[in-house]
Amino acid sequence: MTMSQSHERTPSDPHVLDQPWRLWATVAVMSTVLMGILLGVVVIPVVQGRGAGLDAFTAICRALGLLPGSPAQPQPLDRTPPTPVSQVVWTPDVLQILARADIAKGRAKVQEVCIACHGEAGVSPSPDFPHLAGQSGAAIYKQLHDYRTGSRVHPQMTDVAKALDESTIPDVAAYYAGQPQRNLNPVTLAESPRAIVNLIELGDPSRNIPPCAACHRAGAGGPIEAPVLAEQHAEYLIQQLKLYASGQRRNDVYARMRLIASRLIEEEMKGLAAYYRAGFR
Amino acid sequence: MSDARHEVDERWILRTELLWAFGVGVFIAAALGMILFTALTISVNPPSNVERIDPKALHLSGEFAEHNLGTTVSGDGTVIVRAIATQFMFVPQCIAVPANRRVTLRFASPDVIHGLLITGTNVNTMVIPGFVAQVHTEFTRTGDLLMPCHEYCGQGHSEMWATVQVLPENRFKPGSDGRISCAQR
Amino acid sequence: MRNVDRLCLAHFWVAFGAFLFACLIGTWQMWVRSPLGANIGTPGQYFMSVTAHGVSMAYVLTTFFIMGFGYFVAVTALNRPLPGRLWAWAAFWIALLGVVVTIIPIGLGKASVLFTFYPPLTASAWFYIGLVLVVAGSWIWCVLMLVAMSAWKREHPGQPVPLAMFATVANAVMWLWTTIGVAVQLVFQVIPAALGLVQTIDVGLARTLFSWTLHAIVYFWLIPAYIAFYTMVPRAAGGRLYSDTMGRLTFILFLIYSLPVGMHHLLMDPQHGNAMKFVQVLLTAFVAVPTLLTIFTITASLEIAGRLRGGRGLFGWIAALPWERPMVLATGLGFVMLGFGGFGGIINMGYGMNAMVHNTSWVTAHFHLIFGGSVVIMYFAIAYEIWPRLTGRDHMSLAPLRMQLWLWFVGMMVMTLPWHWLGLQGQWRRVANFNYADPIIAGWGPWVVVSLVGGFVLLISALLFVRNLAVLHRGTVVAVPRALYAVAVHPPKRVPAALNGFGLWNVLVLVLMVLAYGFPIAQFLIEPSPSAIVHRVR
Repeated sequence: MTMSQSHERTPSDPHVLDQPWRLWATVAVMSTVLMGILLGVVVIPVVQGRGAGLDAFTAICRALGLLPGSPAQPQPLDRTPPTPVSQVVWTPDVLQILARADIAKGRAKVQEVCIACHGEAGVSPSPDFPHLAGQSGAAIYKQLHDYRTGSRVHPQMTDVAKALDESTIPDVAAYYAGQPQRNLNPVTLAESPRAIVNLIELGDPSRNIPPCAACHRAGAGGPIEAPVLAEQHAEYLIQQLKLYASGQRRNDVYARMRLIASRLIEEEMKGLAAYYRAGFR
Repeated sequence: MSDARHEVDERWILRTELLWAFGVGVFIAAALGMILFTALTISVNPPSNVERIDPKALHLSGEFAEHNLGTTVSGDGTVIVRAIATQFMFVPQCIAVPANRRVTLRFASPDVIHGLLITGTNVNTMVIPGFVAQVHTEFTRTGDLLMPCHEYCGQGHSEMWATVQVLPENRFKPGSDGRISCAQR
Repeated sequence: MRNVDRLCLAHFWVAFGAFLFACLIGTWQMWVRSPLGANIGTPGQYFMSVTAHGVSMAYVLTTFFIMGFGYFVAVTALNRPLPGRLWAWAAFWIALLGVVVTIIPIGLGKASVLFTFYPPLTASAWFYIGLVLVVAGSWIWCVLMLVAMSAWKREHPGQPVPLAMFATVANAVMWLWTTIGVAVQLVFQVIPAALGLVQTIDVGLARTLFSWTLHAIVYFWLIPAYIAFYTMVPRAAGGRLYSDTMGRLTFILFLIYSLPVGMHHLLMDPQHGNAMKFVQVLLTAFVAVPTLLTIFTITASLEIAGRLRGGRGLFGWIAALPWERPMVLATGLGFVMLGFGGFGGIINMGYGMNAMVHNTSWVTAHFHLIFGGSVVIMYFAIAYEIWPRLTGRDHMSLAPLRMQLWLWFVGMMVMTLPWHWLGLQGQWRRVANFNYADPIIAGWGPWVVVSLVGGFVLLISALLFVRNLAVLHRGTVVAVPRALYAVAVHPPKRVPAALNGFGLWNVLVLVLMVLAYGFPIAQFLIEPSPSAIVHRVR
């Protein structure tokens, strides 16, 4: 605050009034921020680095985020070799490939290979083979790739997937994804059991189970590879849940389905499968 | 009001304001001084580890591959916990840690922003896809602690939490590969 | 000077309509996540509600209120008609269109991303486009405020701009700086992702750009309350403003120090190191200064009023104040809430303590108390004060006004104080339902119910507020014109250009932003973070 202004009671040259403000305000603000920078970028990291056995340059680089690690702690190292469960990685390229898939080629391949078990329209005759009509393209893509790499194992699908051409897989996935869902053999639930609806909508926090709908409902914003469960064969759903629970099926990245399935009791598995079979989304 | 009194009043007002401003300055300096002091003497910092990692290929990488998650004690005795925060659970869902030893926790997310805290401790970090979140701490009390996800990550956010089992020294026995999981109860 | 009556009223009714709606759904949210409402409502409904609540309170109530209030001040403080009135109406309609365009996808469940919309969770593109329209409308308002002040300065060369207008324009300038962060984030990152033009997004950069806006926006909300403190409360109390110069300095300090501090919202984030975090924490300490200065200046102004009314002794002037006037009552209640909320803010600033409270209910409690409490109670007081001037009708009785203010204060304290406590216990935020069977969480249940009671009291207060304003439109008591703005003890005859304009301060803001945010943002442009796949909510 400029004391000299208080005696100014006659109009004066504006410059005389303004200059001290320009000067002192700039000095005050600049010294504040420069002090902050000096302390934060230099003093604190260097002093902390000394305690952690780091040289000044490394400590400052770490504090600025140019090198990993805290300037106050040594950085732990890791040399684990990778053994992934699924090789599928959702990169923009993969998503582009899926978006640009050729449905006509997909139909041709389906009529050649998949039709016997999964049907031309994606409606399968037996609960041993899942319906694929209206299934998520990303989900089909992932499962086919996992069969190819051995992340998921099935007596027939492993060979079928390995025989497929790499470029055809997105086409097949897109074809089935575009097929309309048809609720053959409808089983309507007169009244969905409250416990099942709660599992689907609210999950079970006491067992660490998120709501099924949080991932499996379209538009929920969950994982990209989460499959559509609506109208799927109930027996197929139960079988897959049991395979996850026992750990035999292991291509769910980070074991989420394995953990969830292992905490469901048989009755719940049946109830959930019936709910989805009836077509609820 | 005479001119002289007008002057005195105006200066007096200015003086009181300056006096108060001085007091404010002392208070601000004290608050900042405390932060600076604790930073320099006992290394109190916000999480400061800027380490980039590709979220899309997280499960392919060595460090955050499924089999490498959980608590590992390396040869020189450092305890490192690696966990994934994903929609909608932490993996592993139960983490075993020793009491009264320095522990480094490393988190990564393959999908969206998560965050976590461990109740009753100073562990609190965001988990941003693209970066490894690393915090160092020392657990002082044994028992089971809650580690919820505290940033909105989607519809399943409310059910996303893990347990941290703080084991006393005599029960913290890693296997020959250096790994230890939660004791089953 | 009444060419802005309908303009102001239009803005205020949109603001308060959104406010009432948000209070209703906010109460529902509190009920659903309490032990009393377990298993009612789905997470889908809850997060849709939280998104609508946040957007209504943080973007609609505030922006429309501030725009309307700004037009009012520009006309009444400067005593001249508003320049560019057609532009003002255009801004209103653009912003209102934005509100509609945003609220529809929220209602359809295609935008449950909360008002902070952190990517990679991505909503329907319309959600973001609507927000851009609201901001665009507010930018027109900013320009009009600058034009109004410049025009007045041309007509009154060498004279100090009336404090109310100076502060309003400071707020407008600050808003222009503030919105740069979120505008860049939306236009270059989020909207392209929402439209499907890109499949990935740099999350570290998005979060950093949003933090630029996230702190300064709360000062954008807060400054109108402080305008009332400096320019209306002393008059309402029957006294004078202790120091006009301090008022100007306060608003200038807000302008400079609100902006380069956003990183204190990222203290627990892994994409920045502790060097720049410390720098911004140091600057954050300085943004506490104007509030602390204000407390002194306004208290001193109130003391003048109290002593003029016959108060004696060290504290006797407090009782002598005209507490029956809503503006004075709101200030007193507001100061109490400011004390608690401000203290919480200092805690948040220290990162050791921040680690204990980040993303817990403490944070929710803090901003409800300080914004929902001390700032919004002044919005009420301002509305009560200027409504008669806009409608020409006066309040029949001040009792319902005081009752509404007391209910708001009590409700806010009862709602937020337990929340602070729960946050310290580790209760985390943005949760649709808690597992009250868990022993740790079970202990929180009773406090959550206490908070819920506070929420109901707030809802009643909100309904009463709208009622108190609505009745004036059909009121019978004709408003008697009386002076609104306070006079300083020593009204300034000349002020330096630095206290009469923003040239110098804009330069300093630019320098501060380059030093504080330059490297944190540049690091993402030099070496982009590994990008994350967009997760669409639709």
